[in-house]
Amino acid sequence: MIAFERVLKVFGTGATSVRAINNLSFSCPAGAFWAIMGPSGSGKSTVLHLIAGLTPPSGGTILVDGADVATMTAAEAAALRRRRIGYILQSFNLFPFLTAAENVGMPLVLDGVKQSEVNARVSEALAMVNVSHRAGHRPTHLSGGEQQRVAIARALVIRPSIVLADEPTGNLDQASGRAIIDLIRDINEQTGVTVLLVTHDPVFAAHAQHVLRLVDGALHQDFSLPGTPSERAAG
Amino acid sequence: MRYDGGLRYAVLGVVSRNQHGVHGWVLKTQCERMLGEFWQLNFGEVYRVLDSLCAESLIEQIVPEVGSNRKVYRITQKGRRSLDDFILTAPTDVPRPLRQELAVKLLFAAAEQLGDLLQLIDCQRKTYMEELIRLTIQRRRLRRLPVDSFVTNLLIDHAELTSRAEIAWLDVVTAALKERFGNGG
Repeated sequence: MIAFERVLKVFGTGATSVRAINNLSFSCPAGAFWAIMGPSGSGKSTVLHLIAGLTPPSGGTILVDGADVATMTAAEAAALRRRRIGYILQSFNLFPFLTAAENVGMPLVLDGVKQSEVNARVSEALAMVNVSHRAGHRPTHLSGGEQQRVAIARALVIRPSIVLADEPTGNLDQASGRAIIDLIRDINEQTGVTVLLVTHDPVFAAHAQHVLRLVDGALHQDFSLPGTPSERAAG
Repeated sequence: MRYDGGLRYAVLGVVSRNQHGVHGWVLKTQCERMLGEFWQLNFGEVYRVLDSLCAESLIEQIVPEVGSNRKVYRITQKGRRSLDDFILTAPTDVPRPLRQELAVKLLFAAAEQLGDLLQLIDCQRKTYMEELIRLTIQRRRLRRLPVDSFVTNLLIDHAELTSRAEIAWLDVVTAALKERFGNGG
């Protein structure tokens, strides 16, 4: 579960300070698929940064699976990201000199996981995103959609309880973007991982169960969409 | 596709797919399968269209087997030419006029009604989001059906783009209203 309680995030000080997040409260249950929408500069990405402990809140409480992110040390926040949170970004951020499989395995290698287990979990993650056949290719030999699938596999390889997806379709054409959102929704349904999707595109947000709409860092609109993903899939 | 002319050629098109003619109830099933995903079919109207197409000799009713009392509909040469002409004639669809119910509300709204107006806009945004969900469900359902959904998927693309544009416009209206009347409402 992810819970925000009157969270404030201020960048800068004095007259030039900016309230990026302004008294934001919400509670996203475990296993849910939520979308965060809003105009540019509304604080969508900052919400994800706060959840991942990449930046501390200026006020309020942020609970991630029961742990208070605001009171974590830098090392604890890093451990949270390494073991519990999968992050997917608009730019794929793959190492160009590593193969797809090596990129996917990197978080486990950095966490000191045994190579035999790394290999098994990389195979599992690549299979989940349907790019097993590209395991030995370097990113430059993959399409944009395939690169994003590899990046998603890298997020999943740690078996996270939460996936934060920040405009994951931003660098893709409409068809590839749709396939990526379908994939993220399928992963949410099959594994029960909580997904928070930041998107400006309502077509993609419509895959979520619940939408938060932010304006100027505050909650402007908050609504549930009918049907669970599975019910919707059943048509 | 305009509803009146469109239905006429949709029915003619379905009949044309049956080289040896098609019985009324089979035609009904085929119309449902080929058109039903994007057209609210009224079969009374379909039968009236069939009568009209017969009267214009675009289709004909024939007895396919000697001794049978079953009649089937079959396209004529004239009907095939008419269908070909229709396919290659520019569509009569036109852009929507510059008119929105919301615009009329904005025209006469007072500054003190801003809060209520923003709520109306939020409701409208949610309505379009729900439409996008409906389209998402329809697209996923079609993917599982053993039918060629090429055209229906294109129509879903159109409906998605329309809803997306409407939501983008509502965002523009929200921002413009706040700028004009202030955030306090």
